Amino acid sequence: MFTQTISLFRYLMLGILSRRLLVWVLVLALLTMLAGSFFSELAIINGKAIVVALVADFLRYSLGLFALLLITTSVAEDYEFKQFERLLTMPLSRWQYIVAQVLVIASLCLLLVLPVLLVISFYGDWQVGLYWASALWLEIFLLGLLGLLAILSLEKIPLAVCFSLAVYLLAKLSGLISQMLAESVRLSDGSLTSRFVDFIFGAILYLVPGLETFAENDVFFGNVNLIETISVQFSSTLIYALFLIAVCLVDFYRKEFNL
Amino acid sequence: MRRAERPLLQLPVPLIGGFMLVLLSQLLFHHYSQVSREFRYQPLSNPLQASTYQGIAMGSEKLLGYLLAIRLQLHDSQAGQYFSYNRIDYALLVEWLEQITRVNPVSEYQMLLASRVYSQTRDKNRVRLILGFIERNFDHAPQLHWRRLAEASVIAKHKVGDLKLALRLAEKLALQPASTVMPQWARDIRFLLLAELNELESAIAIIEAMLQSKAVIDPDEKRFLEEKLLKFQQELIESRQSIKN
Repeated sequence: MFTQTISLFRYLMLGILSRRLLVWVLVLALLTMLAGSFFSELAIINGKAIVVALVADFLRYSLGLFALLLITTSVAEDYEFKQFERLLTMPLSRWQYIVAQVLVIASLCLLLVLPVLLVISFYGDWQVGLYWASALWLEIFLLGLLGLLAILSLEKIPLAVCFSLAVYLLAKLSGLISQMLAESVRLSDGSLTSRFVDFIFGAILYLVPGLETFAENDVFFGNVNLIETISVQFSSTLIYALFLIAVCLVDFYRKEFNL
Repeated sequence: MRRAERPLLQLPVPLIGGFMLVLLSQLLFHHYSQVSREFRYQPLSNPLQASTYQGIAMGSEKLLGYLLAIRLQLHDSQAGQYFSYNRIDYALLVEWLEQITRVNPVSEYQMLLASRVYSQTRDKNRVRLILGFIERNFDHAPQLHWRRLAEASVIAKHKVGDLKLALRLAEKLALQPASTVMPQWARDIRFLLLAELNELESAIAIIEAMLQSKAVIDPDEKRFLEEKLLKFQQELIESRQSIKN
């Protein structure tokens, strides 16, 4: 059973790996370094820290989007070419496909963050580079799982990407949205509608990852306990990742395929 | 083989006329848009609240704080032209600096912009606004901003010509507890300004207290204080004698 899952993982992984992936990662790294050198010219003080933080955030969002597109495209192709129907005729369980996909996402994220480790260590401290690569791995892994869930449920790449990005941005901008809703409650003198919307949003926040789940960019500017920060992120990501995998399994087992 | 072409003059007149009209309008449009761009200064917009920036930052508040500060720093350079600081609304500028400081309170960047960049204007009222900003923010993080307050004191003396303001800023520095680590010269500004204000007795009292407290360990610093003490005592005796005469 384990060997089958690993074989499936290798098969799926080979579908994602390509020369195009390498070229994209290199182009991203080059763009990042160009943007970084531009900002280092502008900053009066702390230029190095600003550049590293900017490069790190640029890589975070570009690689996140990149991973999301790769994962959704891979699963969408499985739908398109009736791969699921073929796989289910073999002695394979549905959970094995999900496990293989989770391993693919984990490996892809690892491949993507390795250049990040090099770039950040090149610009700054290797310890911070190691932290950022690990934290970014956790963040992209979570985004990848979100993409997997979205593509398994929605089956269309644009819908899945938009949904995943919406959840990701909702989590990241939750502070701002909460603040706006609280202000709206205050301005409307506590009207029932405003309070209801505020309540609904508060309830939705229980189902999206918290801000502690994402890589902490402030590490580039000061004394942050890296071990503590990554531990908090790891535990938070672990719980949310298990939740997402569970939802993926439920959704995938509910799907009907015409064998 | 090259295709034969009709001479331009044989083309329909409306086509030639239309072409000339369009060419002329393109040239005129380009000329006037360039002229208006050259003289157009885009004033500073109102900053958003710091809490809004913190929400937009998506967890990268410090980075956003720095980027906002760099954006502000580049404000005087527009469309390839540098505009004088006199064109900048300093009240709005200070508001920007305040909001950026709230977004990233552990950064020196805003204070540095204030003391080194935006104080370089001849308008004393504008410089006073900047000094006010430095003074307010020093209170929040004295250890981080003592250099800027020392600079502000010097600016108040030499640029604004307001010795009392300079003394007030210097006193803030001098009265910081020993836990605020800064070189002794930063604390010395106070008695130097007191001497300039002809308050020699106060200056002498401060130096004597400093020497007696044994807080000054560095022999060079001790010698400097002793020299100043001697000089101020002589000046005091001379001034008293001139009053008597």
